[in-house]
Amino acid sequence: MTGALLELDSVSKTFTRGGLFSRTQVEAVIDVSFRLEAAKPEIFSIIGESGSGKSTLARIILALQTPTRGVARFKGRDLATLRDGADRHAFMAAVQPVFQNPFEAFNPLKRLDRYLYATCQRFAGAKTETAMQEGADKALRQVGLSLAEVKGRYPHELSGGQLQRVAIARALASGPSLLIADEPVSMVDASLRASIVNLFRKLRDELGLSIIYITHDLATAYSISDRIIIMQKGQVVESGDARTILADPKHPYSRTLKESVLEPLAPGERPLFAR
Amino acid sequence: MSAAMRNPAAKPETADGPVVAVRDLRAWYRLRLFGVDREVKAVDGITFEVRKDEIYGLAGESSSGKSTLVKTIAGAMRPPLEIVGGEIQFSFMDGTMGLNRAPADLVERVRWRHLSYVMQGSMSVLNPVRRIGTSFFDFAFRHMGLDKAGFEAAVVAHLARVNLPASVLKAYPHELSGGMRQRVTIALATICRPQFIIADEPTTALDVVVQKDVLAMFRSIQREMASSVLFVTHDMGVHAHLTDRLGIMYAGRLVEEARTPDVFARPRHPYTRHLIHSLPRIGDDRPRSGLEGTPPSLANPPSGCRFHPRCAFATERCRVEVPPMEQVAPDHRVACFEKDRVEATP
Ligand SMILES: Nc1ncnc2c1ncn2[C@@H]1O[C@H](COP(=O)(O)OP(=O)(O)O)[C@@H](O)[C@H]1O
Ligand SMILES: Nc1ncnc2c1ncn2[C@@H]1O[C@H](COP(=O)(O)OP(=O)(O)O)[C@@H](O)[C@H]1O
Ligand SMILES: [Mg+2]
Ligand SMILES: [Mg+2]
Repeated sequence: MTGALLELDSVSKTFTRGGLFSRTQVEAVIDVSFRLEAAKPEIFSIIGESGSGKSTLARIILALQTPTRGVARFKGRDLATLRDGADRHAFMAAVQPVFQNPFEAFNPLKRLDRYLYATCQRFAGAKTETAMQEGADKALRQVGLSLAEVKGRYPHELSGGQLQRVAIARALASGPSLLIADEPVSMVDASLRASIVNLFRKLRDELGLSIIYITHDLATAYSISDRIIIMQKGQVVESGDARTILADPKHPYSRTLKESVLEPLAPGERPLFAR
Repeated sequence: MSAAMRNPAAKPETADGPVVAVRDLRAWYRLRLFGVDREVKAVDGITFEVRKDEIYGLAGESSSGKSTLVKTIAGAMRPPLEIVGGEIQFSFMDGTMGLNRAPADLVERVRWRHLSYVMQGSMSVLNPVRRIGTSFFDFAFRHMGLDKAGFEAAVVAHLARVNLPASVLKAYPHELSGGMRQRVTIALATICRPQFIIADEPTTALDVVVQKDVLAMFRSIQREMASSVLFVTHDMGVHAHLTDRLGIMYAGRLVEEARTPDVFARPRHPYTRHLIHSLPRIGDDRPRSGLEGTPPSLANPPSGCRFHPRCAFATERCRVEVPPMEQVAPDHRVACFEKDRVEATP
């Protein structure tokens, strides 16, 4: 297949806040354009501090919000023209979110396998119990788990890392071509972060999935991304090849961000907050 | 410190003794679920000290017991958490149970002035129906010995250090963003310049640029007062730049402790090693790996060394015996039977 998988063309989103007399406009996203090629699965990272418009962009890509100006297209289709019903259903199967915090995303009283069965039933046409179980098992195996490990289990019975994998498996169960992962690693330690990042890479390489990875963690973005955009106050200030940009950012804001990253010291380097 | 001497709660401080000494501390969550008793051994035999004039860091994967340990030290335990054994001794008060089981008026006198605690999560101490300025007044005014105008000026100056405008004093907690609330909490905990500050993941929710300023503030307050800070975070980058000594926790126990640069340069415990090697760095393309195997259950922890099921160096002995913390170099302790083999392995 040729052409764009996802295309954002000068997308802006403005929110109006406040009451009758004191209305303020928040320009959450301003004139953002980028394009993911269908033939070239990649991990595309959106980097920025909180409030920079990352989640708004994610919601636009998931067709949960429509841009105030500009067009977002998935496989050539303007997302603003999606109608409820079969149309939206097909789109939702193809573009899946990964829940941000799996501890909050899963209902503590609901068995985890049910989430997978529901997605298989709704999006992957699984009609029988057996088909749902097969679908769930397949998705779980893609993240290094299996249905046997998850069946009948509740969220508190799994570790944070396992839950995070179940959340990704749930997204995979519909057979998507694009995943949107909004800050999937912000609260986890480096080791778990590495496992998730490695999993994303494997999904890209083995399943040909494209992944939009949203984060404020530059080091993880460096290790995982093919391309990045850096956002500040709704605007893209720098974009392109991840390694090139993060090795030598040009925009002052990108530089500030990079300088603020606290990494383990190189030999001879002084800690920033030494006594 | 004269303030400490004036406080009847305080005992005379020994010149350079630790601000807190924790010995073989065990603190468990004792739950009764569906008629079955369950004990979560979140802190299970921890011995360490925080010295005067240092920032002591605590690291470890999530659920390793970091918050439980500092809650217990800060005297902020709630059922079902209980101290099952061990001692907590502060330089500024008598007794071997720290603030736990201490009378309320004593706790009241020690809090804020001698010891303050920034809990994980930002709503913690802020009263939702009181303006931020009122909270400052409630907690800090009587400890500061200033008149109203002087106090307000001091608060405003202190807020500026965490990049907050004076206008937040008029706001209610819910009117602030999570990051702002977190900075308010940090400002509250530090304004009285306590001898001992305990901070649990205080910057994890902050953006990197703000985090840098807040960490700089922790260091400058610590330096001004030669005070002590117990700083918890899973972020090893923060430890590298801020802490003087660093303890690594795994499954409710301390597995290694050393001066922070030594933890990074010469980790001796296999878990510490893994932790250091899994850190991503901009410009470094070496693949990183996550830890194999399942995280330990603290209700039913592995026998012997709790890390053994995930450890490449584990032997039969590790499965059976609990390795004690042993000194391997000045200020460097490790709990591992195979530490020499670990060190000899590149
Ligand atoms: N539904 C909304 N109504 C009003 N303002 C909003 C809404 N959603 C987001 N915003 C504002 O848009 C800006 C960008 O927010 P967001 O996209 O969540 O950023 P990020 O994910 O980078 O933290 C912020 O100023 C936020 O307060
Ligand atoms: N209120 C509670 N009741 C029962 N178990 C708890 C409670 N709070 C924490 N735990 C358990 O104690 C262990 C240690 O948790 P915690 O101290 O929060 O670790 P960390 O701060 O390192 O993430 C975990 O297994 C956690 O599930
Ligand atoms: Mg967001
Ligand atoms: Mg914690």
